[in-house]
Amino acid sequence: MGFDSVVAPGARQGSKQRPAVRRSPRPRPVLARAGLVAAGAGLGMVTALAITDETGGELRAPGGAATFLGSLTGLVGMYLALLMVLLVSRIPAIERVLGQDGLLRWHRRLAPWPISLLVAHALFITAGYAQAARAGLWHQVAVLLTRYPDVLIATVGLGIMCAIGIISLRAIRRRLRRETWWLVHLYMYLALALSFAHVLALGPSFVGHPLTQIVWSVAWAGTAGLVLCYRFGLPVARSLRHRLVVTEVRPEGPGVVSVILSGRHLDKLAIAGGQFFFWRFLTPAMWWQAHPYTMSALPQPPYVRLTVKAVGDHSAAVAKLRPGTRVAVEGPYGAFTKHVQQRPQALLVAAGIGVTALRSLLEDLPRNSAPVVLLRASRPEDLVLRKEVAELVRYRRGRLHELIGTREQATLDERSLPRLVPDLHRRDIYVCGPEGFVTSIVELAARLGVPAEAVHHEAYAL
Amino acid sequence: MKRAGWYIIAGAAAGFAGVAGFHGSGAPAPAALGLGSPRSAGASGAPSAPAPAVGPSAQQGATGAVRKATGTLEQYGYGELSVAVTVRGNQITEVSVPLLRTAEPYSQQLALQVIPMLKAEVLAVHSARIHGVSGATYTSVAYAQSIQSALDKLHVR
Repeated sequence: MGFDSVVAPGARQGSKQRPAVRRSPRPRPVLARAGLVAAGAGLGMVTALAITDETGGELRAPGGAATFLGSLTGLVGMYLALLMVLLVSRIPAIERVLGQDGLLRWHRRLAPWPISLLVAHALFITAGYAQAARAGLWHQVAVLLTRYPDVLIATVGLGIMCAIGIISLRAIRRRLRRETWWLVHLYMYLALALSFAHVLALGPSFVGHPLTQIVWSVAWAGTAGLVLCYRFGLPVARSLRHRLVVTEVRPEGPGVVSVILSGRHLDKLAIAGGQFFFWRFLTPAMWWQAHPYTMSALPQPPYVRLTVKAVGDHSAAVAKLRPGTRVAVEGPYGAFTKHVQQRPQALLVAAGIGVTALRSLLEDLPRNSAPVVLLRASRPEDLVLRKEVAELVRYRRGRLHELIGTREQATLDERSLPRLVPDLHRRDIYVCGPEGFVTSIVELAARLGVPAEAVHHEAYAL
Repeated sequence: MKRAGWYIIAGAAAGFAGVAGFHGSGAPAPAALGLGSPRSAGASGAPSAPAPAVGPSAQQGATGAVRKATGTLEQYGYGELSVAVTVRGNQITEVSVPLLRTAEPYSQQLALQVIPMLKAEVLAVHSARIHGVSGATYTSVAYAQSIQSALDKLHVR
């Protein structure tokens, strides 16, 4: 099998005859900053739109205050929903700087706001119009639904949003399967599409204002275009171009397998060590879900390799993949790469299956970079890929420490880490592993005075 | 990303100032459409002491034939309306709205609330050069334009 060359990388790299793998473009933080400023500018603009459209007289009229709050919450709520869609639209330039887990964190943090603001919008508008008409609240609801253009359909959209909000509450979400929740929450796209029309037909900032109508429509159409392009078009095009096929499934340790795939034009695939793909194995049982797994080595055209530990239904099924299975990919994603390094050297820490990202990142570090690598596992046989890691470390004149045992026996704390890595102040820390482990190392680094921008992490949730 | 909050706040301030500034300067002010500074829809009762923007025609028009014309149907964002004017000589004696259609009930309410105020203004100044009612700027502009077209038909200046 041609992939043995990856397993014993020393010889090839010694001869400097690495296969020409295209490297991922360097991330440019200025783009992410521009994105933040643009996001803020949009927020300022919609707020100003709602306010400048209002006059003192309207505010003092019956129901005026509620109607004003209704349009303000509606505009800001829809705008935040737009931002949430943009955050997960996989724009490559932004992904490379903030990383997908960073973007998802923002997405999650923002999530409660659009839904609550849009619910408030509906309540305020109903109350305001009822006051203005001197009608009862329920009567006004009926009037709004039946006699206002596009309000009924927008209400259906709001209902969908509320349902998604409810199933996303932690207590309820815990009881759902991750895949089920994820698929249901995609209905948010439908909900937003249903709400679009009533904004233009009734919004005081839009009716009779062709300029704001155009800007608003272009912003939403552009966002839809980005989503279609980067979440759908680009992955399909890449999958068709590279035509990945399972070549071999190889056991690496207890419950851990490597999947070796072969494909075309892999030298043209821009990737950095430590990045991951969403993999969609095209079998009758698995085609409908894509899962994130890290490449456990840089591609060696025509081969790529991922290493997976069986922890859920999907990862267990990966071990049973047959050679010849076709595979679609989405990616590469992730900012857990050498590009984000701030200080001259690196300390790489991994626990359990987190070693996969460490392994490919290590391969990307230059010769004589003298990295320090800490691998943690509870049993020696759980240290998968340790031979490969040892060779890569030796080639880079680094040091490898293996911490084996229970958490109590092999602990990393304020005393043991500086002893293992005396020159910690010269090093960036890259940590990868289960969420609890990553959090503990990130907190330890903070206590040891390592600045946050020199700590990079990638946690995988079980 | 460091200082993400500051970038967002700076952007928000710029965006807010941009729209507010554009609204203050570039957007068509009611005056540009033949209306003076708007009065409030919330102010109850008839407008108080309107500016007597009356031309010389007002006095001489006290006598003459009673004529009537209906103005053009004016579309405004939330609906459409046309205004009919009755004059004796050059003096406007009656204004009515024979046609009012709105997209939804809220605008209908608003229009019905505002139309008597606009009528009172027109009868006070004897022309289409009214201040209009704020909070109902579109309705006011449509109303004024429809009246102006009716007056043009009657050759009243």
